[in-house]
Amino acid sequence: MSQQDTKERENPPLSPFFKGGLILAFILVPFLFPACKNRNTESRQIKGEKVFRMVIASEPPTLDWSLATDNVSFHVITNIMEGLTQYDDDLNPVPAIAKKWETSEDGKKITFFLRDNVFWNDKVPVTAYDFEYSWKRLLNPATGAEYAYFLYDLVNAYEYNSGIIKDQALVGVKAKSGKVLEVTLKKPAVYFPSLTTFMVTFPLRKDIVEKYKDRWTDPGNIVTNGPFKLWKWEHEYKLELTANKDYYGEKVKIDWIKMYVVGENNTALTLYETGDLDMVSIPPLAVNYYKKSKEYINTPQLRGYYYGFNIRKKPFDDMRVRRAFSMAIDRKRITDVLKGGEIPASSWIPKGMFGYNENIGLKFNPEEARRLLAEAGYSSGKGFPEVNITFNTDAENKLIAENVQSQLKENLNINVKLDNQEWKVYLKTLKTKPPEIFRLGWGADYPDPDNFMNLFTSSSGNNNTDWVNPEYDRLIAMGAGTKDRALRLKIYDDAQKILCEEDVPIMPLFVASQNLLVKKYIKGFKPNAMDILYLKKVAVEK
Amino acid sequence: MIKLIFRRFLWGIPVLFFVASLTFSLMHVVPGGPFDKEKNLPPAIQKNIEEKYHLDKPVITQYLLYMLSLSKGDLGPSYKYLGRNVNDIISQTFPVSLELGLWAFVIAIILGISTGIISAVRVNTLIDRVSQFVATAGISMPNFVLAVLLILIFSEYLKALPAALWESSRYAILPSLTLSLGPAAYISRLTRGSIIDILGKDYIKTARAKGLSEPLILFKHVIRNSISPIITILGPLGATLVTGSFIVEYIFSIPGMGKFFITAVTNRDYPLIMGITLIYSALIIIANIFVDILYSVIDPRVRMK
Repeated sequence: MSQQDTKERENPPLSPFFKGGLILAFILVPFLFPACKNRNTESRQIKGEKVFRMVIASEPPTLDWSLATDNVSFHVITNIMEGLTQYDDDLNPVPAIAKKWETSEDGKKITFFLRDNVFWNDKVPVTAYDFEYSWKRLLNPATGAEYAYFLYDLVNAYEYNSGIIKDQALVGVKAKSGKVLEVTLKKPAVYFPSLTTFMVTFPLRKDIVEKYKDRWTDPGNIVTNGPFKLWKWEHEYKLELTANKDYYGEKVKIDWIKMYVVGENNTALTLYETGDLDMVSIPPLAVNYYKKSKEYINTPQLRGYYYGFNIRKKPFDDMRVRRAFSMAIDRKRITDVLKGGEIPASSWIPKGMFGYNENIGLKFNPEEARRLLAEAGYSSGKGFPEVNITFNTDAENKLIAENVQSQLKENLNINVKLDNQEWKVYLKTLKTKPPEIFRLGWGADYPDPDNFMNLFTSSSGNNNTDWVNPEYDRLIAMGAGTKDRALRLKIYDDAQKILCEEDVPIMPLFVASQNLLVKKYIKGFKPNAMDILYLKKVAVEK
Repeated sequence: MIKLIFRRFLWGIPVLFFVASLTFSLMHVVPGGPFDKEKNLPPAIQKNIEEKYHLDKPVITQYLLYMLSLSKGDLGPSYKYLGRNVNDIISQTFPVSLELGLWAFVIAIILGISTGIISAVRVNTLIDRVSQFVATAGISMPNFVLAVLLILIFSEYLKALPAALWESSRYAILPSLTLSLGPAAYISRLTRGSIIDILGKDYIKTARAKGLSEPLILFKHVIRNSISPIITILGPLGATLVTGSFIVEYIFSIPGMGKFFITAVTNRDYPLIMGITLIYSALIIIANIFVDILYSVIDPRVRMK
């Protein structure tokens, strides 16, 4: 027996079946999977129809407007739905489905009168009963809606939502007829018509929700009343909206909106550059590069960025130290580093909102800061305990913290340490053991100073500073119910002085900004300070 | 043989049970919950949400409830994507990752084995040095750098291929190349080393002495005997590739499952974390069984016992 024969007996040749199978498996298997089929063929889009292509940063967590809380869902929902009111270009609430509303003398009852010609996209009329159902569903504890507190101004809303009362008929919203909705408030709330622009207050079709249950927002099931309707939702990839021919308002100028889910900013920019997108937001680091482009649009937002002090922890239990810190920071230096068009801010109500007053707040004054610090017993920073600035892990937060760290060293001779934490860990830390200095931000839910100033009242769940000032609480409660604009302005000025000049539980740093690139052939697009994306007036002219 | 395979699959069940229990414990130890947000919720609302998702119950009760629904094949509702359950999410995204992964797998094998063979046969020549330099670079270069390079070259400069999205087969080229080059480089180095080792064996010298042609020696004796280490890594490699890559799917905006390996954890989406971990573990188990079968087919000295 030859050596080769022996070898062949030990290692018999592979069977032709096996060999063939292996080769086939390697080469053909990818072709058998249909995931990457040509998706364009599925669309009903006809040549010549106008398409607006944009990016959303992530998959919308839900299109159920009672449950949605995020901006991405909001971008979709505000284009397929309308509520009682909507914002004009200056963010004033104006009639939408409600043709008008009347407020009672004591400010506690608001009656909305609905238009007659508003239909769902299955041609069923929109009624006040749809609003009553939607609002009570939002407040129903079983719904588990995060934004149920939006309607806590209604009589018995909090009590029903927290399970204190079970009878939803006691909640202060009632359809008096198909076209009249009566809202009863616990206390006057002048900002209430702004609340009804927000998605959680949009009407809902009881029959649809009960018929399809969790699946009611799927294309084919969902019915809406806005300028566009949901055509297709390819999860994690794209949403397609198409013009709603049953919309009561002015006919829209685009036939399709394609919203691609692109999480990576640079990918979105590349797609914009290669002509695959009509609008894209610019990451901060790229803003400088595009600043001179004719397609660049910068819009300051109603979104504040601040550092909070835990006033229970030494040395920040001394308001002189807090004031010294606030005066030792030149906000302009921070926005110069960020380069994203941010606006330095020493007051809390952001620019563009009623109540903004640039003269309020502690301005950069290192000498006064050093004097205050010395008065507190830390002359030239001597004996100052070790403190941390804590923030959630993010490149921009790090840049800001490093800048503040260096300014504190420069101006007060104080060494602070930086501590970054993963987002959810950070949130847990804030709740359970707020650090000496922490960073947070706040974006307006509605463009009214109450939404910003309410944050630091003693009863606010978002006041992580532990700061309590009864006078401040009193002013904020008064401001919410004051109709007289001049008086209201004065109230918020006084409250801001307590917050940003006297007690200083926070130091506002800047107001954020939105940076977009929009192709020149896109007309009628107007970004706003709330980042609300109304696309019904947009036209594609190419 | 079929009995043995069946037994191996049965052994997978306790392994999956162990993985599920361990993952469940670990994710509950990590600070932060699924509904912690920048805007704190009023306690009443927090309570409503926790009741809705059984998060108000003791962890052991949550574990038992999860295991009960898992035994029925129900992976539970996502805490992030409201109204969708994890079964739906995985069944919609896994086929995309599978397709992309299989493309990458095929490219990695073809490219890796062929360059490995050429390098080994032409050892210490220019072609060997170049291919090993490329292989080392391929292993060392992170995916995100490679992805950006490929987009720059093929999309920005040459305008030959789409930069991202997932519309047709053309869209799969750059992401599958990105995903495959690292594994291809690894396979190439492994193949080269293994073949060089076999080429020095006595029986190869004997075959040469007998006057067998080099191609015959290579394909009949060398490759077959050097393939075992490569097959060993193919199992886990295949499972890793077909479950998707966070970086590649993120950069190329591909609607696959890979991104959930990161985002499910950052969102503390407990059911989704469990779901993708279990799918990944199941695939590893299946891939390893497949590798064992391949061993016994290729090398009869290895028998499944």
